[in-house]
Amino acid sequence: MKVFSKIYLVLIFLLLYAPILVLIVFSFNEKGSFAAYTGVSLKWYRELFRDSTALDSLRNSLVLAVSSAAVATGIGTFAALGLDRMRLRWLKNSISAVTNIPMMNPDIVTGVSMMLLFVAVGGILQTDLTGFFSMLIAHITFSLPYVILSILPRFKQFDRSLREAAMDLGCTPAQSFFKIEFPHILPGIVTGFIMAFTLSLDDFVISHFVSSPDFVTLPLYIYNQTAHKVKYSMYALCTLIILAILVLLLLVNFVSGIGARGKRKKEIA
Amino acid sequence: MNQDVLIKLSGITKAFDGETVLDNMDLEIHDKEFVTLLGPSGCGKTTTLRIIGGFETPDAGDVFFDGERINDVPAYKRQVNTVFQRYALFPHLNVYDNVAFGLRLSHVPKAEIETRVKEMLEMTGLRGFEARKPSTLSGGQQQRVAIARALVNQPRVLLLDEPLGALDLKLRKDMQNELKRIQHATGITFIYVTHDQEEALSMSDTVVVMSRGKIQQIGTPTDIYNEPVNAFVADFIGESNILDGIMIADKQAKFAGQTFVCVDGGFEPNEPVDIVIRPEDVDVVPVEKGMLAGKVSSVTFKGDYYEIIVDIRGFKWMIETSDYVAPETTIGLSIDPDAIHVMKKSEYSGMFGDYSTFSEEMDHLSDPDAGQGAEEAAE
Repeated sequence: MKVFSKIYLVLIFLLLYAPILVLIVFSFNEKGSFAAYTGVSLKWYRELFRDSTALDSLRNSLVLAVSSAAVATGIGTFAALGLDRMRLRWLKNSISAVTNIPMMNPDIVTGVSMMLLFVAVGGILQTDLTGFFSMLIAHITFSLPYVILSILPRFKQFDRSLREAAMDLGCTPAQSFFKIEFPHILPGIVTGFIMAFTLSLDDFVISHFVSSPDFVTLPLYIYNQTAHKVKYSMYALCTLIILAILVLLLLVNFVSGIGARGKRKKEIA
Repeated sequence: MNQDVLIKLSGITKAFDGETVLDNMDLEIHDKEFVTLLGPSGCGKTTTLRIIGGFETPDAGDVFFDGERINDVPAYKRQVNTVFQRYALFPHLNVYDNVAFGLRLSHVPKAEIETRVKEMLEMTGLRGFEARKPSTLSGGQQQRVAIARALVNQPRVLLLDEPLGALDLKLRKDMQNELKRIQHATGITFIYVTHDQEEALSMSDTVVVMSRGKIQQIGTPTDIYNEPVNAFVADFIGESNILDGIMIADKQAKFAGQTFVCVDGGFEPNEPVDIVIRPEDVDVVPVEKGMLAGKVSSVTFKGDYYEIIVDIRGFKWMIETSDYVAPETTIGLSIDPDAIHVMKKSEYSGMFGDYSTFSEEMDHLSDPDAGQGAEEAAE
């Protein structure tokens, strides 16, 4: 039984990660082919870094990811604060449900509806809204629920008597928020930011609908490059992206791990 | 005495969701006094404390501090600090930073903060714990940090909301003495909330007994114990036999079918009253020498005394005696005139006093044990 479960586990991981492993291995293949592995080389990485459109799209992606994550985290923090302070239970629940819709919606629906929105509003205003602006709005929209979901539980865990204790010791309500409550929810904010960042970085479907040719992000660029004929520098690019995402995920786990450990200690005490 | 009044509550009324928690309450608290608000849960004692602390606003009535009305003064501007029931220590700050929190907010010079925090940690026995996080401390240590954090600000008044409720018995006794010592040393007015009558009697200068949002009695611990004003206070503070009686004339009370000489007076002739007799004030004597006679229905060994329940004409008395008496025997009882306390009838009359339910409770409690024993024997 034990052997069987081990084999099962190995199979699962193999299925999950074999494609990625193949991609990483072949990104170092000197000959641009799957047919033969002619030797380890950084040829495709060099080619990638000579490709200025690829680097532009990487820069676009990063700018978009950072700015949309920052705005979503800002809005999400205040939204979570508002939801936490809400007295009426039915209102609180229905607003939470509404904020979760962008998360449940299929990307294709969100993407098409966003495109229609930007085209319609652009038509009314007689301007072209597609580009960085439309991408920013779209990315904020789909990452917002994830931000709220990572911050709201921190608010719920917060012991309200701490707020009273802070006021008792001379804090104004604002001081008590920034000195006591904010440090408590900070891990949630950081997690939310990182999640929004990664979601924005790898979004393709929604971006595909709301982008314009003069603002292309990395996933769109890769899709364009591979749609007709496979370019091997794209394997190098994907490998780099996987590496970046891996680092971020480790960071997220580390940050939320700190929060969870603190909580566990308190429960034991 | 009156110029010493530090806190005055006048006509305080407070309701939550239409349910009245405090009903037109008046209370004066003197400077440097150790006052305990005592009562069962839901009597309004914690709400009273929260109104003084500024965490609740009364629906009606005024709060005065040093002669000034402070109804609209927010909590962070009041010269009052609180020790919360669950300590409410800041989890992301270490012990030192927790204690220094209030001083830093009021921009006390850094050097002074250091000496005052150090002094306070010394006083509460927390030296060496400066760098520890609250989550790594035991309940008793957290309690001390909470006290130090409040006292270091040198408030005029310290509010304590059942601060020892979460500690075990031994630690609670130690902390009671500690708190009393700290109160003497600092001369700060303590307002202490508890439902533990023993705690209230042993620590306070003044006890305020509350029930149903109203103050039942204010007095020194001895007054409250010896001269309860009504059946509620008599029952809540210590054990007591509360009987229906009639004041025939001054110093003559009739109860349990007999007329007794007592020391109370000032009632109408033949006024119905409640009579309180403490279990330790009844002497067990031979039947022929007793004023009353009854049959022993249960005996419980309590360590330094026996607690016996005696049935006298259908009323179960509780008596504490150092001499053993066998169950089912008939004994005589003798009561000194000054052991008989007479109270006016109140809304609480007839609700307490008889120990018949008490003994049933005891039977009920011992039943599961008996069942378990049988099971074990079967195995």
